[in-house]
Amino acid sequence: MFKQDKISAIRAGLESIVGRENVRTDEAEILMYSYDAGMARARPDIVINFTAAEQVAPVVKLFYGAGIPFLPRLAGTNLSGGTIPLRGGAILNLSRLKKIRQIDTGARLALVEPGVVNLELQKALEPFGFFYAPDPSSQKVSTIGGNVGENAGGPLCLKYGVTSDNVEKLEVVTPQGEVRTWSYKDRGPDLMSVIVGSEGTLGIVTSAWLKILPIPPLIKTASAAFPSLESALGAVTRIIGSGILPRALEAMDKVSMDAARLGKADPFPGGTEAVLIIELDGSEEAVLAAELETVHKICADNACSAFKMAGDEAERTLLWAARKGAYPAMARLAPDVLVEDGVVPRPRLPEALRETRAIISKYKLTAGLLFHAGDGNLHPNILFDRRDIQEVKRVRKAGYEILKSCIRLGGTISGEHGIGVEKRVAMNWLYGREELDFFQSIKRAFDPAGLANPDKILPVATEKAAGAPGSQAFGSQFAGQEKSSVFSGRAALSPAARGILDELRLRSDAGARTAVTGLGTRLKAERIMEGARPLGLGRLSGGAEIDRENLTARVEAGLSFEELDGQLRAAGFYLDLPPLKGSVGGLIASKACPEIRGTLLGLEVALADGSLLELGGKTVKNVAGYDAVRLFCGSLGAYGVIIAATFKLRAGPAPHFGPGTGKSAGLAPAREPLKEAPDWDAFEPEAIHRRLKKEFDPRNLLNPWVYRGEGLRDE
Amino acid sequence: MRDKENSGTTSMSDNNLTDSEEQVKTTWEPDYDQSSPGARHFHNEVNELYPHESADRHLGALLTDLGERNLYDAAAQCNRCGYCETSCPTYMLTGRETISARGRNQFVRMLVEGQARDPVAATESLSTCLLCGACSSACYAKVPTPDIVLEGRRALTGYGEGFFARAAVGTLLNAPRLFAFWLKLAYLAKMTGLPRLAARMGLYDFIGMPGLAEAESAIEHTPLRFASEILRRDQELKPQGKRQANWAYFAACGPNFVFTEIALATVRVLKKNCGDGVFTDNLCCGLMAHNYGRLGDAREFARRNIARYEELKAGLGEFPVIADCSSCAAFMKSYEQLFTGDEEWRPRARAFAAAVKDILEFIPPEKAGRAAPAALAQAGRVTYHDSCRAAHGQGLRAEPRAVLRKLAGEQYRELPESDWCCGGAGAFAFTQPEISRAVLDRKLRNIASVQADTVVVGATSCLAQINAGLREAYPSARAVHYSVFLDEVTREDGQQ
Repeated sequence: MFKQDKISAIRAGLESIVGRENVRTDEAEILMYSYDAGMARARPDIVINFTAAEQVAPVVKLFYGAGIPFLPRLAGTNLSGGTIPLRGGAILNLSRLKKIRQIDTGARLALVEPGVVNLELQKALEPFGFFYAPDPSSQKVSTIGGNVGENAGGPLCLKYGVTSDNVEKLEVVTPQGEVRTWSYKDRGPDLMSVIVGSEGTLGIVTSAWLKILPIPPLIKTASAAFPSLESALGAVTRIIGSGILPRALEAMDKVSMDAARLGKADPFPGGTEAVLIIELDGSEEAVLAAELETVHKICADNACSAFKMAGDEAERTLLWAARKGAYPAMARLAPDVLVEDGVVPRPRLPEALRETRAIISKYKLTAGLLFHAGDGNLHPNILFDRRDIQEVKRVRKAGYEILKSCIRLGGTISGEHGIGVEKRVAMNWLYGREELDFFQSIKRAFDPAGLANPDKILPVATEKAAGAPGSQAFGSQFAGQEKSSVFSGRAALSPAARGILDELRLRSDAGARTAVTGLGTRLKAERIMEGARPLGLGRLSGGAEIDRENLTARVEAGLSFEELDGQLRAAGFYLDLPPLKGSVGGLIASKACPEIRGTLLGLEVALADGSLLELGGKTVKNVAGYDAVRLFCGSLGAYGVIIAATFKLRAGPAPHFGPGTGKSAGLAPAREPLKEAPDWDAFEPEAIHRRLKKEFDPRNLLNPWVYRGEGLRDE
Repeated sequence: MRDKENSGTTSMSDNNLTDSEEQVKTTWEPDYDQSSPGARHFHNEVNELYPHESADRHLGALLTDLGERNLYDAAAQCNRCGYCETSCPTYMLTGRETISARGRNQFVRMLVEGQARDPVAATESLSTCLLCGACSSACYAKVPTPDIVLEGRRALTGYGEGFFARAAVGTLLNAPRLFAFWLKLAYLAKMTGLPRLAARMGLYDFIGMPGLAEAESAIEHTPLRFASEILRRDQELKPQGKRQANWAYFAACGPNFVFTEIALATVRVLKKNCGDGVFTDNLCCGLMAHNYGRLGDAREFARRNIARYEELKAGLGEFPVIADCSSCAAFMKSYEQLFTGDEEWRPRARAFAAAVKDILEFIPPEKAGRAAPAALAQAGRVTYHDSCRAAHGQGLRAEPRAVLRKLAGEQYRELPESDWCCGGAGAFAFTQPEISRAVLDRKLRNIASVQADTVVVGATSCLAQINAGLREAYPSARAVHYSVFLDEVTREDGQQ
């Protein structure tokens, strides 16, 4: 049946839900939803304007039932073509759902609808002395729904985490039109975190409970001018390495600064090629003063030519206006801009900068360079005019080369803007076949008919052929290069880890069931059912591999947390977590401490058939693909066997934990030692959990009792 | 294949799942793109919006913040970042891209490129624009969306060709006294209880007072003598015999034909604070003709006003031209844009535009006098509404505030969202009553939130619109024009 006929068939139903005037198929409306802030274009067939959040589920149900693709859209400011309806179908416009339903300063939560503009929420929180941490530069216009969809970051995420870290709970309309409410604290695999950053391909958020924080009593903002970006980035690495965790640490080059100044006088000395914006917060004047002094000294050591404190709120606002205006100000320089969003491990930023510059000059392009420097996140804003075909070609090639350079430096292709359609092909360069298939299986489990924002994030058939590995498309130096993942792959695994993979493969071939017991801390013998054979991970306990400069550590899953903690402290680092017990893998799989997700950057996981998945990486930001790392939090050993984990470290002496003691340098006040619930594995799977299980472990070989044998039925 | 690529990338059927590939390629791989003339090769002279022979109904070029651009380049400068969207009143109210600032720019661009073929489809998008210019203020590249929208409107068939549009503008241009007579008849009609007739005559529409159609009581005393008639007889304002003038008063249509008291207040304030001046005895500035599709007439208004200015200048030397309606002042400051292809008139227009000053910016705080306590007490709590054409059109924000803060002192309150359009917007209130109402409601809520008694405004359409709203929703407050406020609070006892 033609799509138009399908639409006609459900039109009356749609109109009865949202009202006749909100179902639009006129040419004007169709045209106006054929673009966003990215470069891709495609026209929808129908646009639905919602006036109440309750209308979303029944409308989605109708579209799903009719087999018509659909996708949610808000401000349309994303930079990767995420809101372009590639297969036509429906645009679900949620922009009018912009009620802030509740601000609960006691529980530190705000309940909002998806259309609430980020800055509007900040303004509403301010009178209460609170703020919502994610502050993308687009916050003046981008919405909470969009921020959740892209897992937005922003300058403050260096200290306070990205969107995913600041969401408590989400109400989601699944692609099939069911309404679900998921929190990362729920028992079982963390579905909420998978929704964050899924770009509308797994569901539509209709309500979000956001974590809000008290505005720190003291905020100090400084700007530092440098004669080169290299020296500025040198200072960044040293500041983070010193143990200071700034509230924000941003770098911008001269092109960006000049554009954002809007012709106003240049406040920096002549010869300034780069500026850092450094913002510190805290509650004790003395501590902050000492930190500022350190930062000042580090900058001075790195050839800083002017270090200036923002004297008052007006000066501070001006600094931030320049930083946050740097992208929109590109419109002064050219009609189009390609914003790349690669991330590299922070110490490799100078290399990434060198390579990026070389690529830009090779293709004879101009770009403004912006960095969320503290996070290792680069935003080259490449200027062009899309009416100039030759230039567009060069821009496209340069963009891809920059992404490849980030991958080669151990980074990823998107830190906060998402993959959408424009960076889809680059997923082939970042991930192997196994990971991409794994992501596909997540998509199938959430959206069996593939109608929610189809053809986004994951490479489509034609791209697979041309893409991996190291695409020869441009005949560049990458030709013939092997997949350059952050991980070193199977070959680099320890013998113990390879042993686990081999053992799993043997058991899989024999159809034998496995109970993943780890160190035996939680999964005691009496809990093992359905004739599963124990698989201990005691041997999988090599020492933590600490990357001192990048502040990360890779740890095998069988290492006990106490042991890890000790090793880190001895090296001068710590994890921002309360004292915990049991193996690293067990802690993640049991979600005994849900906050563990905040420190977790990467996972290596063995599936039931012994295949190896390498998820996440060594960067603090990563929105390339679904957040499968967090999906394994609470997976109870039933989705796969965690082999190793990569954690984000804090430098310096660890704070004390315990009742009434000291302070944590991190997000929250000192955490109490964790009291674990004895029924940690009491978990009622829902349909999507079951479908995921069916995808990952169709024969129910791993911890089979979790899905109770009947678990693989669809509903 | 070729067909599919040419189909504007719309997929109407399910049977080609690789459609999405084609669609993405059309923008990212230009080799594939044969669909739009603008994208085929870099050719910025493309213009499918209107046929060449209609060029005289359009501007030759736009004078943008980034220099002189043709319409296509001006619209293409928008890189779709979307940072303007939250400043666009119609977008904020409806959440629809179609009636948003970015949407309107993109629509005109698509029309120019021929990607959207039928300008009629753009009617809703273009006609709902308030032309407030908040988007251009928010835009880093200062993309001139209001001008782009007007260019789009001018391409709509029949736009500006209605009987009343032609008759009213024509009369105003060629027989201003006849127009005045006609207008008086309309007022008489109103007084005799036939206000609807006046509205139906479409008059308010063309003098920028559409709010009046809804709120006849805005006119407390019908001006049977228009300001220009009074000022023309004022001996002090006659240029004859003068060698110089500190100012020349330009009577905009609102103050001239409807709010006579504003014109008289402006003149009093100027006389008192700025010394000797003259009355220009001008024509309408041409804004209404410009905004409602009659660019040729607008040019003629401009030429005659410029000639009048030059005539005065010959006897008086340099002097500033003071207008007391921000819409008109902003428009006259942009006169040069009307004549970009006209070597003779362009420099003359530029010189005139440079002389134009809004009353809002003309009087520095130190010259504004001192508030009389009794008058100030009567004014109560004072706040300031940024008229769109003052704030967005001329960048005037600090100047009037400095004066008001000085005069009202503690009684001055900053208005939240002070540059949110009131919804008056020329004839907007008349043509789009529903949106206009919703836009106005937000303004009224903000006024109520600071418990203002007096809302100072700088444009006459704001005055009519806000007062009409206040009477209904918040009758203890009133809007007054900046000049009237200055005149009232600085008037010494005994002068009243």
